[in-house]
Amino acid sequence: MKPRARGQTLNAVANLANLASLNDERLLIEAAQSDPSRFAELYEHNFHRVYAFVSRRVNDRDEAQDVTAEVFHQALRNLGRFQWRGVPFAAWLLRIAANALADRWQHASRGLEVRAEEQLEALPDSAAGDASAVERRAMLFQLVERLPDDQRTVVMRRFVDQKSVREIAREMGRSEGAVKQLQFRALETLRGQMRKSDE
Amino acid sequence: MSNFAMYDELDQAIDRMLAAPEPSVDGSGADVEELVELAAELRYLPRANFQSRLRLELEWEAAGRAVSAVAGDGLQRAAVQPASRQMLPSFSGKKWTGYPVRRINFALSVALHAMLAALAGAGFYMVKSAGPAIAPSSVGTTRLEPYLAPAGSHEAHGGGSGGAAQMTPASTGAAPRADREQLTPPIIVRNNLRPRLVAQATVVAPPELNFPRTRQIGDPLSDLTTPSNGPGVGNGMGGRAGGGVGGEGGDGRGPGSGGGCCGGPYTWGNGVSMPRAIYSPEPEFSDEARKSKHQGEVILTAVIGADGHPRNLAVVRSLGMGLDEKALEMVRTWRFEPGKMDGRPVAVRMNIIVNFHLF
Repeated sequence: MKPRARGQTLNAVANLANLASLNDERLLIEAAQSDPSRFAELYEHNFHRVYAFVSRRVNDRDEAQDVTAEVFHQALRNLGRFQWRGVPFAAWLLRIAANALADRWQHASRGLEVRAEEQLEALPDSAAGDASAVERRAMLFQLVERLPDDQRTVVMRRFVDQKSVREIAREMGRSEGAVKQLQFRALETLRGQMRKSDE
Repeated sequence: MSNFAMYDELDQAIDRMLAAPEPSVDGSGADVEELVELAAELRYLPRANFQSRLRLELEWEAAGRAVSAVAGDGLQRAAVQPASRQMLPSFSGKKWTGYPVRRINFALSVALHAMLAALAGAGFYMVKSAGPAIAPSSVGTTRLEPYLAPAGSHEAHGGGSGGAAQMTPASTGAAPRADREQLTPPIIVRNNLRPRLVAQATVVAPPELNFPRTRQIGDPLSDLTTPSNGPGVGNGMGGRAGGGVGGEGGDGRGPGSGGGCCGGPYTWGNGVSMPRAIYSPEPEFSDEARKSKHQGEVILTAVIGADGHPRNLAVVRSLGMGLDEKALEMVRTWRFEPGKMDGRPVAVRMNIIVNFHLF
């Protein structure tokens, strides 16, 4: 299970877009290796990518958050051992994530082999397709942060907290129609920006 | 389709999508389907504070890591700074477990705690120093004068004498029992060994001055051991007339005359020195007085015996709340260098002021 996940990760990472050029990233890594407080910058650059990668595989928000936290803590602890070989830093992070997921499944499937097999089958078959989906999800999550406040509030209440339009309207002091409108506009905005980035 | 109808259709499709275990898009228009697909992805959005909270955790972990890394380089200045951040992160940091740090709150907290500690310490100090201040000077001339028992206009009574007209003075022995009335005078050598009416031999003196008698009665001031009632008359013991023991005559005992004992306690002055306290532990406050912060003076009267022990303690001025009892209890344990007259220790009555002050 581990080698397969690791191989997929490495291939997938090759197609991921970087927020900074490789040279800039290398400088950031070297700075963080000499001063761990600089690790925050690497974290900000890679958070959504790692989270999207993990959430694509666990389909559970709480578990995805746990694994993501574990990945970055491990990365910080082992940052001194990272050696620059021209591969994006995200590749190293996603390899940690893949290992963490594999360990987690292995641990959870002790005495429950069927479950482990199901998890393996759940892994996307096409590495390129998976990388693209991860990238799209990471971009989508980043775009949510750039939505206007009221639209972002509606999105978070509706899809993260899974509240009904009526409950959100009561919390925000708006009419249900207004909330539905905000929901529509938020999704439309996200779709428009995703299309723009695809072009 | 109007905008409002589209909002409703999208909302209903989202409701169905959220209710389904797997993302599903059904029967809606292509436009809405595309938005619902997007919405299905949004179901896995991280919680609002997750990213910032994880960043904080990493920053703290990195700060701890920076300490060891820098200390390893031997840079003293840098090593001290992160260490202090670790020790007092709520003071030196900008945030602590996600909450903003206000240094003024930290400073106020420290000041408040210091003030409380000072108050608590002051309380201990005050209670400790509130112990009643009893100095030997409290029995000094100036302080005691207004409370002294008035000196008699004549010499204290006491003593007595008697005898059976024998050739030798009265023999030595313990003073007989004291009583207000005398039924039978004390005699050492009994002539009537079978009296019809038996009554205890007494001398006229305050009954509270009785002391345990462990030996044959006699004249305590005599040195003779040969049993004798003395050369006096009056059925007592001694060389004069009367039913007493020793002295100038009368029904008492001691060197005085008349009814009484031992010449009675002296008051100091006129050749009698004042007893001086040589062991005077301080009495404690009663719980009741301490709680109600009751303070003042208790004035006791006592007879300081020739042996230096205080006797016949009584309260002249009461303070209440258990302080009188505390003063009596402790003064009973005091020891004095007795007052002296002509170089000889004598009993002296005096007042003792016991101060109970909180400050």
